[in-house]
Amino acid sequence: MRVAQFSWSEDAGWAAPASNADSDLVFFFGTRQALAGGDRYHELRAMFPRAHIVGCSTGGQIHDDDVTDDDIAAAALGFDATRLQVASEPAAAADRSRACGEAIGRSLAAPDLVGVFVLSDGLNVNGSELAAGISSVLGKRVPITGGLAGDGADFRETLVGANCVPRKHLVAGVGFYGAAIRIGHGSAGGWDEFGPRRRITKSRGNVLFEFDGEPALDLYERYLGEDEAKGLPGSGLLFPLRIFDPERPQHDIVRTILAIDREARSMTFAGDVPQDWTAQLMRGHFDRLAAGAASAARQAVDGIGEARSGDSLAILVSCIGRRLLMGQHTADELEATSAEFGPRIPQLGFYSYGEISPHRVSGVCELHNQTMTVTTIAEAAESARA
Amino acid sequence: MPVHKLLARQLAKAAKPSGEVDLQALLALVSTAYEQSEADRQRTDRSIALMIGELEQLNHGLDKLVQERTAELRNREFELQAQNLRFDAAIENMPQGLCMFDRNERLIVCNARYGEIYGLSPAQTKPGVTLRSILEARVKAGYHPDEPHIYVEKILTKVRTGQPYYSEYPMSDGRVFAINHRPMTGGGWVAIHQDITAQKQAETQIAFMARHDGLTGLANRSVLLEKMEEALARLRRHGSPFTVFMLDLDLFKIVNDSLGHPVGDELLKVVAARLLACTRETDTVARLGGDEFAILATADDNQQGAAIATANRLLAAISTPFDLDGNAINIGTSIGIVLAPTHGVNVEQLIKNADLALYKAKAEGRDSYRIFEPSMGLEAITRRAHQSELRNALTNDEFVLHYHPIVDVQTQETASVEALIRWKHPQRGMISPLEFIPLAEETGLINPIGEWVLRKACADAAHWPANVKVSVNLSAVQFRRLCPIDNVRSVLDETGLPPERLELEITETVLLQGSEDNVETLHQLRAMGIAIVLDDFGTGYSSLSYLRMFPFDKIKIDRSFVHELAKNEHSASIVSAVAGLGRSLRIGTVAEGVETEEQLVLIRAAGCTHAQGYLFGKPCPAAELNFRRFVQRNHKIKVA
Repeated sequence: MRVAQFSWSEDAGWAAPASNADSDLVFFFGTRQALAGGDRYHELRAMFPRAHIVGCSTGGQIHDDDVTDDDIAAAALGFDATRLQVASEPAAAADRSRACGEAIGRSLAAPDLVGVFVLSDGLNVNGSELAAGISSVLGKRVPITGGLAGDGADFRETLVGANCVPRKHLVAGVGFYGAAIRIGHGSAGGWDEFGPRRRITKSRGNVLFEFDGEPALDLYERYLGEDEAKGLPGSGLLFPLRIFDPERPQHDIVRTILAIDREARSMTFAGDVPQDWTAQLMRGHFDRLAAGAASAARQAVDGIGEARSGDSLAILVSCIGRRLLMGQHTADELEATSAEFGPRIPQLGFYSYGEISPHRVSGVCELHNQTMTVTTIAEAAESARA
Repeated sequence: MPVHKLLARQLAKAAKPSGEVDLQALLALVSTAYEQSEADRQRTDRSIALMIGELEQLNHGLDKLVQERTAELRNREFELQAQNLRFDAAIENMPQGLCMFDRNERLIVCNARYGEIYGLSPAQTKPGVTLRSILEARVKAGYHPDEPHIYVEKILTKVRTGQPYYSEYPMSDGRVFAINHRPMTGGGWVAIHQDITAQKQAETQIAFMARHDGLTGLANRSVLLEKMEEALARLRRHGSPFTVFMLDLDLFKIVNDSLGHPVGDELLKVVAARLLACTRETDTVARLGGDEFAILATADDNQQGAAIATANRLLAAISTPFDLDGNAINIGTSIGIVLAPTHGVNVEQLIKNADLALYKAKAEGRDSYRIFEPSMGLEAITRRAHQSELRNALTNDEFVLHYHPIVDVQTQETASVEALIRWKHPQRGMISPLEFIPLAEETGLINPIGEWVLRKACADAAHWPANVKVSVNLSAVQFRRLCPIDNVRSVLDETGLPPERLELEITETVLLQGSEDNVETLHQLRAMGIAIVLDDFGTGYSSLSYLRMFPFDKIKIDRSFVHELAKNEHSASIVSAVAGLGRSLRIGTVAEGVETEEQLVLIRAAGCTHAQGYLFGKPCPAAELNFRRFVQRNHKIKVA
């Protein structure tokens, strides 16, 4: 496999690699503003006429151990022995997310499918349902990774492109096929639980109304304080919410807030918040968030093995919440992952509104929030191919 | 100098393409970093403070909850203790023994009474001991039914069926225990043990009482009838004859009335004992009620001879004086006897015939026995015919009154006239009251007859000279059955006879029977102005105490004394004594049965105030009465 990283900036335009004609797949991540209009896509298409071009808007681009806000981070991948297929589906409405996931799954399904990387609209999709839809078709054997597109801290509109001009309300999946391809994955948070456990006394789907009979929004506003409460829903990410079924406390999930309704005193999350489940606030510490990211990187590296042929790539999908909290310390977690990958595995990625990865315990592909989710892609050395 | 990695990053970010540091950009980055750090610190502080607050609140809530739950638990514990105490108190205060066993036949709990009943020590009734060991301990202590060797196994077998049961066990010491056994759900059982000895005894007593006379302990009528049926069955099967004696005590009523019921009851008990002493164990002696007894005796070939011997023994036994509380009591008995099968082959017939024989014995003078004869049936039929004739006599106006004068000994003038009833029978002619009054008394016809006599006599007397009184006999039965006062008053009102012209003659029996009420009645009659006369003085008990009981206006000295007057000094002195007593008490004395002038002289000498007898004429119808003075001449009294 060959990997060439490149970027685009307002000032300098594309800093493209010298040779790109044999690239099979291009990933690109940029601000909504940079991607809107389609110029960048057309430019990429011109540069990589035969490649699948897949990307989305973000809450910040990851380019090795740097995080940037204005430019576009991209990578062109060329495979020696791997077949690719890209599928996309419109994400009509949040309550159709499962059907959308099932359609993607059906499009990509094949006996030699090894892994799927998904990019989804970040605001109009119930990520839990989407992940459940895809895995209901493909099963636990095929790891599904990826994330939900972002829109900085604005939460207004997200864009996804898959061999087309990036647009809203789209879900795209890239399927990797064949015996050579190796896909690793890892996901970790590193958040610290704090405060009392609360009971979700009123919720509907991914809309949370009450904890212990008190409006959930009241609690968040109180914890954020007057100033930061103005920044809701974005500032809500500073206190991620860990939820679990009281019957299965090991199987916990962290949820990201997507929207609030000050009238209804409700909060909308990127996945379900079932009534009667237990919830607990979390808070982050730079060092431990970075340590979490490192843990995710380790899992992903382990997944692709040592006997690799050519280049490898790590695609990092990290939650916008982590970046909001860490500010200029965000690079700490990228340095931490980078240290795990070493010089042979470059990292590309974005800050997202949700991460998709198999659950570390159940193995079932799920939506995660507030995590660092890492997907490693490599082709095995010829001797190691099955 | 080592540079902080953030500053290094900031420096890198602020570097221009030329490598020069853009100071403005660097300051902006540094400033932002400070702001971020400050916000993060503030956020951390705030969230920790809030969290502490929340946790404290939660903690407080938990404390409160713990306190509430603790109080609740304590209350429940108290309640449970109280309940246990109540339960214990209830169990311990039960008069029954209670025990509860688990499914393994081990004692869970029992009360003290349980141990007491069976003489078990506390160690033997410790929770956990087995039923078998308790049963064996019971047997050892001697509390078991007759067969101890099978008792333990029998109980264990019974308990293991898991069925409820109720059993009564007569213990070797004579007590009776009732066990009420109830299985519990989930195995084990509860049993209640009760000492029902007293109850059993009471039941036996009740059964005995149902078949025996409470006073004497003799068999009662129903037992007698049952035994007679049995005897009849034996008669039919084996030809075994038997004899029934019906007894009725003579003069018992007088004892009861004069000495009181307690003495009467005592007398009946002694009579019962004497009857038992005269009979064999196989005989049945029964008290039928009041002073009536019956004896059922098996018989052999010499049935009649044996019956007579028994009857004589019974007569002798009862006529032997009784000594009760220092009272020497003389009574007798009349006995009616039937021989089965000679006199009957069913209970009803035998009883009826024995009654007839008894009636006959009583009628022929007491203290005797009579064996049933078929003629007695005829007599009874005759008696019934007479009864009906007597009843008709009243409606057919067959009674008439004859009057017998009573003369003032001094003036020899008729002082009063005694009314005497006669029955003018259409076929049999004139019948004496001696023949029909007993029947009238027996049937209660005496009341309408007596009323008729009173009314007729008063009506007749109303036409007589105002100085002549009319004397009417009032029987004891009349006193007993109706109130004579209203009767007398209404007759006087109807006939217009002044009460001062009426004399009522009573016998001492009136005073003997229900004496207090009768004495009160006599006082009321006397208060109306009616004279009260004591008749037949000198016969019967003739206690002088009667004279103290009531202020009689006159005493009639019985004719037997007057008849003997000339021949018997004893009689003469009695007549003198009575006359003297009358004088001193200012009571008139009438000598009855004066037939000769000699007798008249003698009674006058004795001090009698009045005389009555054939010397002054025989009783005659009202129309033949004349009220002239009697003149004594040549030992003959002539009407002047």
